[in-house]
Amino acid sequence: MAATMAAELTQHLNARHLYPTASWLQTFLSTTRPITPLPAIKQTALFRLLASDITTTLKQPAASVFPSDVLKGTIKSRIVTGPVVCQVLDIEDIGHSRWSQVESIEAKERGETTKGREIVRVVEQENEGTADAASPVQSKGPFKLLLQDAKGLKIYAFDLRGIDGLSTNMAMGVKLVLRNVDVRRGVVMLEPGCVQVVGGKLDALDKAWKQGRKERLMAAARTVNTLA
Amino acid sequence: MVVRTVLCVAEKPSIAKAIANHLGDQVTTHNIQSNPYVKNYEFDYTFPQWGHCSVTMTSVLGHLLSHEFESRYKSWTSCDPSALFDARIEVFVGSNGKPIADNIKRHARRADVLYIWTDCDREGEHIGTEIRSVAAQSNQTLGRAGGTVRAHFSNIERAHIIHAAQHPTDLDEAQADAVASRIELDLRVGASFTRHLTLSLRPVLHRGNLSEASRLISYGSCQFPTLGFIVERYLRVRNFISEPFWGIKLMYQKAGISVNFSWARKHLFDRMIAVILYEWCLTSQTAQVQKVKTKPTSKWKPLPLTTLELQKCGSRFLGMDSQKVLQLAEKLYQKGWISYPRTETDQFDQAMDLRGLVQKQAQGGRWASYAAALVEGGFSWPRNGHNNDKAHPPIHPVNFVNPTMLSHEEQCVHEFVVRRFLACCSKDAQGSKTDISILYGPEIFNASGLVILERNYLDVYVYDRWGNQELPPFIEGEVFEPTEAILSEGKTSPPGYLTEPDLLALMDANGIGTDATMADHIVTIIHRQYVEAKAQPRQARHGNDEEGSEELPTQAIVGNSRRGRTTAARRGAGRNSGAGRGGAVTGVREFIPTTLGVALVEGHENMGFETNLTKPFLRKEMELKMKAICNGQTTKARVVNETIEQYRGVYTRMQQHPDVLRRAARKYVFGEVN
Repeated sequence: MAATMAAELTQHLNARHLYPTASWLQTFLSTTRPITPLPAIKQTALFRLLASDITTTLKQPAASVFPSDVLKGTIKSRIVTGPVVCQVLDIEDIGHSRWSQVESIEAKERGETTKGREIVRVVEQENEGTADAASPVQSKGPFKLLLQDAKGLKIYAFDLRGIDGLSTNMAMGVKLVLRNVDVRRGVVMLEPGCVQVVGGKLDALDKAWKQGRKERLMAAARTVNTLA
Repeated sequence: MVVRTVLCVAEKPSIAKAIANHLGDQVTTHNIQSNPYVKNYEFDYTFPQWGHCSVTMTSVLGHLLSHEFESRYKSWTSCDPSALFDARIEVFVGSNGKPIADNIKRHARRADVLYIWTDCDREGEHIGTEIRSVAAQSNQTLGRAGGTVRAHFSNIERAHIIHAAQHPTDLDEAQADAVASRIELDLRVGASFTRHLTLSLRPVLHRGNLSEASRLISYGSCQFPTLGFIVERYLRVRNFISEPFWGIKLMYQKAGISVNFSWARKHLFDRMIAVILYEWCLTSQTAQVQKVKTKPTSKWKPLPLTTLELQKCGSRFLGMDSQKVLQLAEKLYQKGWISYPRTETDQFDQAMDLRGLVQKQAQGGRWASYAAALVEGGFSWPRNGHNNDKAHPPIHPVNFVNPTMLSHEEQCVHEFVVRRFLACCSKDAQGSKTDISILYGPEIFNASGLVILERNYLDVYVYDRWGNQELPPFIEGEVFEPTEAILSEGKTSPPGYLTEPDLLALMDANGIGTDATMADHIVTIIHRQYVEAKAQPRQARHGNDEEGSEELPTQAIVGNSRRGRTTAARRGAGRNSGAGRGGAVTGVREFIPTTLGVALVEGHENMGFETNLTKPFLRKEMELKMKAICNGQTTKARVVNETIEQYRGVYTRMQQHPDVLRRAARKYVFGEVN
């Protein structure tokens, strides 16, 4: 019974390109109750796996991780076939200065986005009919991400055209599956056709990321300022 | 009621004179005792509703009545400042007003009807009730129903005045009440908080210069939020951190024209990514035209002129501060050249004879031929804005006047009003715009061209610019090799300090003050030395992320002078009259807080409660409640009570944190702690 359960689960997860380690599977199965219906167990397994740190819970077959020399800056362009499973450790909005991002966070902190407490700061100019939208609540980036595969390798990625689910509002630790991606000078070029946003998150990382964001942005602004 | 004798009272002597001369055939003028400005004009007039009457036309000089606390509250040491929330207020004729009030009372005795001709805005309505209360002291019938009527007019052109005289209305008690509540609230809140702030900070400021210590820290419910905006912007500039960014600049030479393509991403704040994309483009060698779209485009003519817009444009285009512009506009109104300059309305009523008004401007001036051409064809009904205060039309020229008859400054404002009006009655400018989009490597670049086909309003409204932009022909699918592809680098520069037009716009958007009072609030905070105004240097920056290669202002330490200038102000004073590096200034003023101004705002921020006096919410609520009184949705008593309770709460909390404000003052004014 347990064996068929394990087989079912493995098949379910493999179909999503997730190859959990034997020990993870064992640990998981030990937490399930035998009377729970299979579909529910499958769902829970997927959910728990996606909420885990893949460097400890996934097997590392060559095809599902990045090639070991992927970070070489001397290679102008190479295609990584994959399917590579990775988790998002960080995301940056590189289309807007860090300082302006700090300012919007501070405006939210001051409560200026709550009804009745709004301070109008951007006054629309009378224009030639082409309305320049006031800064949208969610920036469209573009975004630079930091990805990590099951082997622990970290690599930067750039969202070329905008992919649903990738933004500074996303949870850290989300899992992506990449297929036939172009890696240029050691940076993964993400395009909608080759990225699948599977989901999940890493709770502790996400919390710390959100709380420390303003400080990180300010520190980064100071750093680039002194380098410039 | 048989009406034989009418007493008319206007708000200013010049208006009284103008009206008297429009209505009366033979007008006799008399002086009054003890005041050289106010005169009585006597004439006969046949009113359609009353028949033949003898009329006395006189005026006041603005508000007639003064409001003060009972004498036992006068001394600052007589009570805790919060007692002023409930103290009795005495209303009486001020000493300056006595001769004027006596004049009114004397003529009121014989009058059958009191006809109010004060300006048609809220303050004017209140002044009307003041006049009525004074007149009723010697003639009770004037104070009763039907004893007082009111003229409704928005300019002093003859036909308009005659029409107003023949169609009296009633005083709007609701509006008068709104003003009465404002007066009471400003007095109670202003006095109590001024005393509290001054007494609270006096021990801190007392160190050193004694004369400084005896100065007043005054509070006003509009001034503080205005100061708040200025300080906030100052802190943003001061705390700004410049960041480098990178962009790809593309140029292609075709048919003798250098076409500059701008990157769809504009710029990126990450060098590594920018370089990778740049390399990717270069590797692709050629670019392909994806989209070519030519379509008609227009530049809209301006909206009808409101007070706020006049002040903003006065600052931007005429180099005049808001108060001055309004004063000059007032003069032009009193002389009968333009309509009432205090208005929020930016739509023209369909019944107005705009063509006739345009025709009048064809008589002379630099715009004469334009106006003439407009009447013959090319006239187009003005655009409608969103606002209508139902009291006055947009500011417009009412009569023709030869500019040489005006002072130089009056000419500037007058010319602007005329040009704006003629522009409103013109057609939009028309052009043809071509937008091109190309794909170079993975990246999209855009270029556009503009051909102006008809200038229309631009010919008379010289304050707007629209330029041709040449573009050679491109077709979709065309492939070419760019002449130049460069990776450029830039740095963000800080926003500029708050300029006058921007401050006015912020006050308006956040409900601080009305069109009539906003300029006054700005004057007040300068006068109280909370901020300084200086000319904006020409290379002043606008946005956060615009390309700029300027140095950052150096972060200097705030100095020791008590009501000292902040670093920016001092730097500005060091250069020639605040001019920038190149010596050039725009005509626009920008505002920089003094150390005291910053201390006040930061002190209040640190007290941290929701009803922060330097934020606009409290005043905005007050203004909304004023409107509600005018609309009959609430009463003066209720509004005064509610607002006093709000401020009482703020006062109590301030009392519980006495050291916060003092700490801020010590920090900024003395440079302690950094």
